[in-house]
Amino acid sequence: MIVRQGLVIGIPLLLASIIQVTLLSRLGLPGATPDLLVVTVVAVALAMGPVQGAFAGFLAGAIIDVSPPSDTVVGVNSIVYLAIGFVAGYIVDNRDRTVFGMIVIVGLSCAAASLGTAIVDSILGSPRVLWDSVPLITLSSALYGALLAPAVVPFMEWLTKKLAPEVLLEG
Amino acid sequence: MLSRRTRIALAVLVVASLTFVILDLRGGEGPLSSARSAVSAVTGLLQRGAATVFSPVTSAGDWWSTWRNQAGQIAELRAENRELERAVRESASDRARADALDELLRVATAGRYRVLPAEVIAVGPAQDYAWTVTIDAGSLDGIEREMTVINGQGLVGRVLKVNQTTSTVVLLVDASAAVGGRVATTEEIGIVAGTGRQDSLDFQLLDPLAELVIGDSLVTFGSRGGRPYAPGIPIGEVVDITGTAGQLTRVATVRPFVDVSQLSIVGVVVRPPREDPRDSVLPPREEQQGQDEQQGQDEQAGDEANDDDANDDANDDANNEDANDDANNEEANVDDGASTEANTP
Repeated sequence: MIVRQGLVIGIPLLLASIIQVTLLSRLGLPGATPDLLVVTVVAVALAMGPVQGAFAGFLAGAIIDVSPPSDTVVGVNSIVYLAIGFVAGYIVDNRDRTVFGMIVIVGLSCAAASLGTAIVDSILGSPRVLWDSVPLITLSSALYGALLAPAVVPFMEWLTKKLAPEVLLEG
Repeated sequence: MLSRRTRIALAVLVVASLTFVILDLRGGEGPLSSARSAVSAVTGLLQRGAATVFSPVTSAGDWWSTWRNQAGQIAELRAENRELERAVRESASDRARADALDELLRVATAGRYRVLPAEVIAVGPAQDYAWTVTIDAGSLDGIEREMTVINGQGLVGRVLKVNQTTSTVVLLVDASAAVGGRVATTEEIGIVAGTGRQDSLDFQLLDPLAELVIGDSLVTFGSRGGRPYAPGIPIGEVVDITGTAGQLTRVATVRPFVDVSQLSIVGVVVRPPREDPRDSVLPPREEQQGQDEQQGQDEQAGDEANDDDANDDANDDANNEDANDDANNEEANVDDGASTEANTP
């Protein structure tokens, strides 16, 4: 049961991370890279709940931190995404389960992810964070996340219903 | 059982037929042949008219099977079309790859670097603020940490981590990257550091009194043993200078030659050159290039003129021989042939 839930969460995250670094970040879009990974984490949280969301966030951060070409401190993204996954799963209630509500939650989560990573990186003494480009990165990340949400969130719900129906939150 | 009228009619027709047979077998001109030619003239005309009317239908060939197979044929043609479009697209991308490899080869040859070509397969997300990429060559291909990475435009970065089949490269524009740079014209040295922005690097001269002008090109100074940075690799061009000569914090902004948003083919310097290639790898400056081309054309023109003279001389000789050796035609022909061959460049 646990293993199957892990796979239902883990495999989409792995695919998302690969798509993110090989395709999305090479598109050369202005501002941030569309954060498919965060969108997937939030989708898991919305479909399964806060605990699974937190687990997904941890896993997603670990994947992006250890897989090339990352040179960030391992664990930074794990902490940030874990918090986002938990909060997204916790605050959502049935009244938010509309397309608009979903888009807002995902957009805010993406903004929180970029901002959170920048803050934690700065606290840890990374010389890289460019604070004057943080606003643009944060806003564009929220926008791209909002655009990805209507595709990813229903897909994750469908996947949960098919493969791990015991944890599906009723919408 | 048959009615009387029917029997009579049948009998008339049979008799008539037999009569025709007999008449025709008898041969020669007779009433039958003239009747036949009259009838065939009329039917012939009718046939021609009908053929004209029906030609749009009949000229389509096997129209029944065509009509039935149209869907199949369309699908076939579409598939063929897709295949051709794919081929065209691929040839364009193949050409771009070949150009990139050519450029890389030019730089590697000019600087005598031994490079291992690789392709960028993944790029770190922008929100990490780290300019790192993954390339598709690793320890199995002979890549080691701290090797220099270049492309056809100049310095890309250095190898940060190595896996078996992939490596992580930190680009020069990353805020954590720094490389010793040398001004190509004045030989002054300083530190080039990444800023985290893709189109600017900071350059700080070690000698604050040194002369530096906008437009100066920088090349790598080179590290001990060529790692992490091999010597003589073009870095970028000075586009802005803040502070005046003598000021302690005199920093120049350098635009890198390499466009990091367009990285595809790169080369890892697996062995640096034995000698510093100095400025030989830098792309020729534009006015110099123009002069060179002009000169080259002049030389070529001169060569051609000389060649023409030589040809004329040779032909004259051959003609003279022809005139002299009229008696021995064969030999003259052989000579002629030989001299023609010799003249052909």
